[in-house]
Amino acid sequence: MPGSVSMTKTPARIETHSRPSTPVVRPIPQADSGQYPLIDAIKRGETPEPMRHESVQSVGQILDIRNFELWYGATKALHGITMPIAAGKVTALIGPSGCGKSTLLRSVNRLNDLIDGVRTSGTIALDGKDVYARNVDVITLRKRLGMVFQKPNPFPMSIFENVVYALRIAGERRKSLLQEACEKALRQAALWDEVKDRLKASAMGLSGGQQQRLCIARAIVSEPQVLLLDEPCSALDPIATLRIEELIIEIGRRYTVLIVTHNMQQAARVSDFTAFMYLGRLVEYGRTADIFQLPRLRETEDYVTGRFG
Amino acid sequence: MSLSFKESRRRTASAFMYALCAASTLAIVTVLLMVAGYLAWIGASSLSWNLLTTVPTGDVANPGGMRHAIDGTIVLVLLAAMLGVPLGVLAGIYLSEYPEEARLTGPLRFIADVLTGVPSIVVGILGYELLVVPVSRLTENSISFSGFAGAGALAFIMIPIVARTTEEMLRLVPRSYREGSLALGATRSQTIFRVVLPGAFGGITTGIVLAMGRIAGETAPLLFTALGSRLLTHDPRQPFPSLTLQIYTYATGPYPEQRRLAWAGMLVLLALLFVLNLAVRIVAARQARGRLH
Ligand SMILES: Nc1ncnc2c1ncn2[C@@H]1O[C@H](COP(=O)(O)OP(=O)(O)OP(=O)(O)O)[C@@H](O)[C@H]1O
Ligand SMILES: [Mg+2]
Repeated sequence: MPGSVSMTKTPARIETHSRPSTPVVRPIPQADSGQYPLIDAIKRGETPEPMRHESVQSVGQILDIRNFELWYGATKALHGITMPIAAGKVTALIGPSGCGKSTLLRSVNRLNDLIDGVRTSGTIALDGKDVYARNVDVITLRKRLGMVFQKPNPFPMSIFENVVYALRIAGERRKSLLQEACEKALRQAALWDEVKDRLKASAMGLSGGQQQRLCIARAIVSEPQVLLLDEPCSALDPIATLRIEELIIEIGRRYTVLIVTHNMQQAARVSDFTAFMYLGRLVEYGRTADIFQLPRLRETEDYVTGRFG
Repeated sequence: MSLSFKESRRRTASAFMYALCAASTLAIVTVLLMVAGYLAWIGASSLSWNLLTTVPTGDVANPGGMRHAIDGTIVLVLLAAMLGVPLGVLAGIYLSEYPEEARLTGPLRFIADVLTGVPSIVVGILGYELLVVPVSRLTENSISFSGFAGAGALAFIMIPIVARTTEEMLRLVPRSYREGSLALGATRSQTIFRVVLPGAFGGITTGIVLAMGRIAGETAPLLFTALGSRLLTHDPRQPFPSLTLQIYTYATGPYPEQRRLAWAGMLVLLALLFVLNLAVRIVAARQARGRLH
């Protein structure tokens, strides 16, 4: 009966709006309620200037994303993204599903080139050189970047061959060198002790968590300048997740890491900087401690505390 | 609770459909078993060690064995595979891995599908016109039937089959393999040959072996190309024997002993195909177990 539905709904709304807001428990704001000016503007299709903390500008950058935009055919997935990425630090990308985190990550190593109808504008500079410049060789570019995907994707070959794959395709044949590199990468990925006796065994026989660490080893074997991680723990159980998180913190000491995550605690634990994205726009970007404890936008505060998004 | 009229009618219809399906299946299986049993019965009575080891004598009352034809079929199939497997697999790779060439691969896929359905006698005539007649002209021989021509005709049948199965199997390889490899800076061909192809190895092998089984049983493409021979030869430049051709010759001839031999030859051919299919199943089962890990 349509009548009764509207009868119950209307008073509830009125109640929400009329309740006095207290600093401890705020009601969940409705869309367009005026509490989220930036997000409301984004929802209207605008690209407002994001809240970029001064802390992100002052550090040495290895990646510099400037006014970057991306279209999947007629759909625009990234709008005017400008964000410098600190060298030697871990930067986390957070935001609701579909906000373009993976798209941004895959733009850095130009994996989106494989998708039909993708167009971009703006620049992403790696070490000062735009990766979208005409004379850039994509193969060479990708060799300088490592990537780990959401689902572990070991290749159908032995553990050893998986790890040294990047070296093999670069033409490396020296056995001793390959073995050394394999051991080093597996140690860095905290997997060496578990697999050192079965390097010749198929990588398909490893557990999910082991496979993901193998993929990390595979990504760092050629010592990339930036490591791109797209929700590397989302297919793993809590214990395996914890191991990977420790690993990311450890690896973050040596590499620049750009990680996409849906898990706020994970972002807080592993990263130095955090960027909050919404509908293809950057919303707030600053030191992780600031984003989680002293966010400047109510949007960000409510998102990281799980009140919105 | 009693069923409504509609509901009970629905159930009766359902039971009737089931009975119909089961009965058809039973009928098919029965006919198949009768054929196989008849073949085994007649064929087995002429099976002998001599059949597998000796060649035709020329004596119609005591015609000898089929060693030449068994060897011939094996050689023809292997020769055809040497040509058909690399070409078919490469074509399959092209169809599956270069989507940006869709304007070319679309029609090619269609042609491959049409070729798969071309009657084999057409392939035989084509083989004669393209592989036998020109060679005769070149070498100024009267007529150049040869094992090579036979293998070429068989390869022609094999290539579209292998190409299409390779394509299908490559499509089953997860996109994440390709992206993982490309993200590490591999070129497209490195990705295909080091990661994608090994990932589809089991399926492609199965397709190849099934295609080999299919051509091993072909007669018409060989009639005007390999021609057949009663000699034990391993020289594919000569007219070449095959089990199917020998069976055809004996089975359509007037001599009862030769006809008995034809039945035995059929049993040998079926045994060969059976072994091939068994090998495929073992490979496939291994693959399936490998994936479970
Ligand atoms: N290949 C594609 N073709 C067309 N649209 C796409 C494609 N990939 C992503 N999109 C769209 O682009 C937008 C951003 O997608 P993206 O995968 O980057 O989001 P995400 O933030 O990584 O989401 P999630 O957290 O769910 O992984 C989405 O609206 C999505 O539908
Ligand atoms: Mg994503």
